[in-house]
Amino acid sequence: MWERTLQDLIRGLRANKNDESKFIAQAMDEIRREIKNKDMELKAGAVMKLAYLDMLGYDMNWASFHIVEVMSSSKIHLKSVGYLGAVQSFNEDTDVLMLTTNLLKKDLSSTPADAAVTLNGVSSIMTADLARDLSPDLLRMLNHSRPHIRKRAVAAMYRVFEKYPDALRNGIGRLQEKLEDSDPGVVCATVNVLCELARQNPQDYLPLAPQLFHLLTTSSNNWMLIKIVKLFGSLSPHEPRLVKKLQPPITDLISTTSAISLLYECVHTCIIGNMLQGTSGYSLARMCVSKLAAFLEDPDQNLKYIALLAMVKIVPTHPHLVAEHQNTILSSVDDDDITIRMRALDLLSALVNRDNLQSIVQQVLSHLVKPESSAVPSAVQSLSQHIVPSAPAKSPSAPSQSTAYRLVLSQRIMTMCSQNTYENVADFEWYLSVLVDLAYVSNVDIGAKIRDQLVDVVGRVRAARSYSVKLMVKVLSDDTFLLHAGEPGSCSEVLWAAAWICGEYCSELSAPDELIPYLLQPEIASLSSDITAVCIQSATKLFAYWTSEAAKQWTDGFLEDLKKAVDLMIEQMEQFASSSHIEVQERAANVLQLLTFIKHDVAMYKPKQENGFSDPSVAAFDPVSEPSCPKSLYLMYPLFTSYELNPVASIAQASVPVPDGLDLDVWIVPSMQERAVEERDDGDVAERKTKRGKKGKEKESTSRMKVKGGKKKQKEESYQEELVPQEEETAEEKAERERVGIHHKLYITSYQTNVTQLKAERLERMRDDPYYIMDDRSQKPPAEDIDSIPVVRLDGPLPLPKGTHLSTHMSGTDVFAEEPRLPGLRSSASVRSTPPSFVVEREGEMPVGAVITPPPSTPAPSSRRPTPNPFDLSATPPPPLPSFQLYEVPDDELRASTPEPIKVTRAKKKGTGMTKKKRVVKPEAETKAEDNGAAVH
Amino acid sequence: MLNIEPFHCRSWRPFYAILGTTQQFIMIHAVLIFNTSGIPRLTKFYTPLHQSSQTLIQKIFSLISIRPAGLCNFLDAPELEAFLSPKDDSDERWRVVYRNYATLYFVFVVDGAESELGILDLIQVFVEALDRHFENVCELDLVFHFDEAHHILAEIIQGGLVLETNGDEISNSVKLASKARRSSFVSANPLSLGSGGGGGPRSGSIQTPLGWLTDKLTGVATR
Repeated sequence: MWERTLQDLIRGLRANKNDESKFIAQAMDEIRREIKNKDMELKAGAVMKLAYLDMLGYDMNWASFHIVEVMSSSKIHLKSVGYLGAVQSFNEDTDVLMLTTNLLKKDLSSTPADAAVTLNGVSSIMTADLARDLSPDLLRMLNHSRPHIRKRAVAAMYRVFEKYPDALRNGIGRLQEKLEDSDPGVVCATVNVLCELARQNPQDYLPLAPQLFHLLTTSSNNWMLIKIVKLFGSLSPHEPRLVKKLQPPITDLISTTSAISLLYECVHTCIIGNMLQGTSGYSLARMCVSKLAAFLEDPDQNLKYIALLAMVKIVPTHPHLVAEHQNTILSSVDDDDITIRMRALDLLSALVNRDNLQSIVQQVLSHLVKPESSAVPSAVQSLSQHIVPSAPAKSPSAPSQSTAYRLVLSQRIMTMCSQNTYENVADFEWYLSVLVDLAYVSNVDIGAKIRDQLVDVVGRVRAARSYSVKLMVKVLSDDTFLLHAGEPGSCSEVLWAAAWICGEYCSELSAPDELIPYLLQPEIASLSSDITAVCIQSATKLFAYWTSEAAKQWTDGFLEDLKKAVDLMIEQMEQFASSSHIEVQERAANVLQLLTFIKHDVAMYKPKQENGFSDPSVAAFDPVSEPSCPKSLYLMYPLFTSYELNPVASIAQASVPVPDGLDLDVWIVPSMQERAVEERDDGDVAERKTKRGKKGKEKESTSRMKVKGGKKKQKEESYQEELVPQEEETAEEKAERERVGIHHKLYITSYQTNVTQLKAERLERMRDDPYYIMDDRSQKPPAEDIDSIPVVRLDGPLPLPKGTHLSTHMSGTDVFAEEPRLPGLRSSASVRSTPPSFVVEREGEMPVGAVITPPPSTPAPSSRRPTPNPFDLSATPPPPLPSFQLYEVPDDELRASTPEPIKVTRAKKKGTGMTKKKRVVKPEAETKAEDNGAAVH
Repeated sequence: MLNIEPFHCRSWRPFYAILGTTQQFIMIHAVLIFNTSGIPRLTKFYTPLHQSSQTLIQKIFSLISIRPAGLCNFLDAPELEAFLSPKDDSDERWRVVYRNYATLYFVFVVDGAESELGILDLIQVFVEALDRHFENVCELDLVFHFDEAHHILAEIIQGGLVLETNGDEISNSVKLASKARRSSFVSANPLSLGSGGGGGPRSGSIQTPLGWLTDKLTGVATR
């Protein structure tokens, strides 16, 4: 019969192990035939087989209608098959469920056997509609004569409440009655349902407290007590008086019960119910912890697990109590069982403070090291392996080799140390070495995070810079690290940090020139392109620093060394200049040009007759007078050191107001509108976003600001219409838009006529754009205009002219006449000679938060000053410095210069320019657009 | 391949909570049984899954099967977080509690807010109920009577809530329901002599001559 055929299927499956898919396809065909058969037995057999195949992963959703047919059978043995099929395959989206309401109603009022099967089925397939339609029937069944049915009805009510909360209004009172049912099973089921409900909405269930309290004090049923205690855990935060009332019985339970699951629940309830406060709470907490500590040493792993779980919850309020058992907890981290380890780790991270951080981290770190040491087994180990051959296969190192576990471990170490901006780290040199250790032993892809941490720590903690540079030199000069950098889990990103730190804080190096070959060795090119780019940039920084140092103590004997170094550097840089990565290529090419210039300069250099024996320090301090060394030695260093990099507060960018006259929504170049639109949508452009967000409503009006070229503006307008779909498009607007479209065409035709005018306007606008390279030769802006450029004050003694002066002086060739412009573009100040007093400020010990905001408008005569961003003194960790800020000269300059415009705006803020141009009211804008259109006509 | 060894459930010592006349309340998301090769023998999901159930079973199996005996019965592997954490709140995190009996793994996926130790006891209750019904239950019993196993489970858990934990209670209800099914089957198939309808243990696997005759008479095409 049908049961047989299921068994045939199973036997067939077992016999056809090799060709299972074919066999199943065949069986499915049969099932499809049988399920349409009129014979209910056969149909049920097919459903049964389907349910079995469903377990093995084959779809049975197509059969839902036939399942309903089987459900409607009057015979219980078939009906139960139908419900089984339904429970296994139906979900909320099953459309035939709508057909079942009456069937279910009928079955619920049928024989107890039918009703039991139906209640079970209904609990699984409940939908909001079913819950609404069936709730009266189910409520009626709460008073069924058989406890078995009452129990099932209570459990089913939970699903009704879940899907159809309106039923709670009538249902909750009925459910409350069930707390006094004669059958203990029904009472338990009721407490169960109430507990689940109260977890979601505790305050609504406070009236039940007296009844539950009665149960708590009278029942000896551990299973129910667990649930009641849990229920009180969610109730007591909403009713402070409960705490006092609950303390005695719960204390009693904790001290007397032998069931740890109940104990755990009591502890949990004490914690979330705020019962551990005050003196009585303290003794309660002490009792909990001592109980838990006993379980922690129990040989049963399950008890250990639960104890760790409960301790984590006590730590926030009573850390010192848990800390008494720190050693036991630490040993749990060594447990063979990964589950126990994870819980112990949780607990440890909660326990961390300034005093124990180092020992805890060291302990955790040793787990990462372990497999490394076991890879080369000692003699004793290999001997013992022979004795116990099964042991090594399941050795405790197995979990620590799992990648996911190692990843968690590594992340945990870093979060433990970095939480609250390194609050618990007393010794940053130690932390830096931990990070480097991590890079070596973690063997998982955590490099990016280590990199960010390294850069962050070094940026924030001045005192650690010297040590970090030493450490990073070691990493960079480690051939094996570089050799394995291509492998997964090698943390090659650490090289990024190493290169950047060495480059940025190169003044800590005694012999920067020795490090350059490491940064430019051929293997570097095989790393990911961003690391290579940073290496190139850092090598350049090192070289720049070295040359400027050399210039300070110039002796002519140095000349040969210099020539060699330049040649070597050029040779190495040439490899990178042919890289296929655009970033690497561009950087290398840039540096190469600078180097070529220096090379020529050095080649032209002849020791000076008139000044050759002068005091070198004089020359260095007085760069305007002819220095004794090749002048190009001063070329590169100022490119990197004009401004110091400081950690930026996370709110810094947001608090920079948009400078007056700068409209972020105006197209920079008309023809680039498409791209600008994309950029607008790009959420990553945080800068724009925040600024726009700040401006709020102003945005729209400013975006409609009238630009001089009216046609351009119209084109922009048409974009506006498309970009702001939430604006209702009235017929009028639509017409307007169409008109604009026409104007757009007109604009194109009339373009030629306007082109020169437009160009002039554009150049005018571009003048303030730091990204836009001005053609100074043709433009020749008047001198007072330069002052108004809110980018960099030309404060140095040797601005741009110095560059030209240099080149003309040194060589007559045109090539070099071009060259100095490169660095001199905007930061012409940077061409001025390096200030010889490069002092690393070391006084800052902890996270650098405090930075003096310098008087903004006065161009500081001192060479460098911190970025005058408003710094957040609080502990909010700033985001890791974006990579581009770290090495790209123009960006650096831009960032440093942004504050300038702020100050300017403050003076001008009220009134000028802006309001006149702004289109505040839309109709007005439209009329203007029309006017302009007419003008074109 | 299948090991027909009875479960070692009698050696179990219930001490986490007191097994007895009582009841435990848990929000259970899934009950899974698979064998030591990872082949599912019973799967029941009380909460709709986002992933394919097969993927979840395979993942849990791969994590459990490498765990040697003697470790704790809770699975807390970082690999599972992606599967089981619908919320970030640690209390809401789903947990996997499992027990190994002979060739089978019994796995419960439960709410983080539930008592793990209670679930361990509940698994024991379930296995004992199976054992009582099948008399020294083995993996083959579950294979050929997977519907019976479902019916037994339905007496313990309904819609993700625990219904009953008392072994005697469960056994009675299972017997009652099974009797009802059998008599219904017999009345529908007078010639089958009670060999079907989810009747007694193992009865289905014994093919009686009369059972074969019934097939012929009712025109069921046997393969």
